[in-house]
Amino acid sequence: MKVSVVRGGGLAGITTRTEVSRSALPTAAAGILDRLVEEAGVREPPAPSSPSGPDQMLYEVEISDDDGTVRVRFTDADLPDGVRKLIEWVDSRAEKIHRLDV
Amino acid sequence: MISAPRPTPHPACSIAPPDLLSRLASQGTAEQRDAALSALAASASMRTQRSMLSQVRRRLGNEVANQLAGLDVTPERRQTIYDNQRQGRSFLPGVRVRGEDDPPTADADVNGAYDGSAATYDFYRDVFNRDSLDGQGMELVSSVHYGVDFDNAFWNGAQMVYGDGSGRVFVKGALAQSIDVVGHELTHGVTSFTANLAYSKQSGALNESFSDVFGSLVKQRHLNQTADQADWLIGAGTLVPALGKALRSMSAPGTAYDGDRQPDHMDGYVDLPDDNDPRNDNGGVHINSGIPNKAFYLVASALGGQAWGTAGAIWFHTLTERLQSKAQFVDAAEQTMQVAKEMFGDTAQSSVASAWQQVGVIS
Ligand SMILES: [Zn+2]
Repeated sequence: MKVSVVRGGGLAGITTRTEVSRSALPTAAAGILDRLVEEAGVREPPAPSSPSGPDQMLYEVEISDDDGTVRVRFTDADLPDGVRKLIEWVDSRAEKIHRLDV
Repeated sequence: MISAPRPTPHPACSIAPPDLLSRLASQGTAEQRDAALSALAASASMRTQRSMLSQVRRRLGNEVANQLAGLDVTPERRQTIYDNQRQGRSFLPGVRVRGEDDPPTADADVNGAYDGSAATYDFYRDVFNRDSLDGQGMELVSSVHYGVDFDNAFWNGAQMVYGDGSGRVFVKGALAQSIDVVGHELTHGVTSFTANLAYSKQSGALNESFSDVFGSLVKQRHLNQTADQADWLIGAGTLVPALGKALRSMSAPGTAYDGDRQPDHMDGYVDLPDDNDPRNDNGGVHINSGIPNKAFYLVASALGGQAWGTAGAIWFHTLTERLQSKAQFVDAAEQTMQVAKEMFGDTAQSSVASAWQQVGVIS
């Protein structure tokens, strides 16, 4: 499984991509990732994203595994708590890959 | 229907509440107006007086209040800074850490947000006679330390929000301490209360450009710079140095950071869909704003001197009095030309027309 977070918009208008692969994680961390993905609920069909306010960050979270790929989009105004926690956890991992997405 | 005015109370008798005073000022005879306002002037401490006059002013509108008072009435700034303690949206605004009358704290982001908001409020009041974002003296509310390493700052429709930055995109602590970033964000508030430019494609790029224009002018006035002395950068020093020197350059769009895609001419307009894809930036609002940004820079440079008094005045009047929500670049061009003529005459109008021609918006 791989989790990708694309962030764009915002004050800067700069797009970045941050990814973490489950296979790169120690066993305990992989278990935490499984739980966070489950709690984020992004495997459900996404609700339509609300219109964005000025400089709000736009998010696309993608979860890929053997079953396929699920992709959901949010803004700062409607980012669910579970998804936010998943993103913060991915950001905190040394194993992540972070780059500009252009 | 307004009832007949009652006999004038003696001005020195009491301190009448602002409600009564404003009623007298708006409905009374000329003598009653004078008496009501002299009562204020004679009665209270300077601070109380200013506060009461501010309320009268908010009720009546600046011009009327000034006329009636014959006094130099200054509306009063009100602001509060909160600490979100990295908790995000559910904890907004957070814990109150500094009010308008409080001294600086030990937290540089708190003080940066305070100073930047104060400079922005004072800019709009002193230069354009506008009392806060809504023109009605609304309190400026800011939350710092929003979320965990959050790489953004924004106006959420009611207040300012500043993240700490991750150190991967933004330098930690830089956003709340950048005066033009603060001015940019608060100007989104001014826009929402005036032209309310739709945040999509060209109208969104205009929305962005007005925020850059007035964000830069807040900084220029703070530094007392003329147009030729200004750096015309937005958010200088906020990005990590590996990315670049600033978020945007108004004088040379496309040169602010590595990967800056801003055009400086309609030939380079980037036509993106507005589809919530983070890569598409609401239809390129932070990309195509380079075109009107460059136009403003050209006008400010042509007119010379302190840009807020000339080009800034034209742009402010256009934003607050002329543009509609769906305005396109060509509408901004036509309206700024018209306003330039009305405010400053034919030469200024020619400078504005020339600028929009140079960026390819009009031929
Ligand atoms: Zn903006």
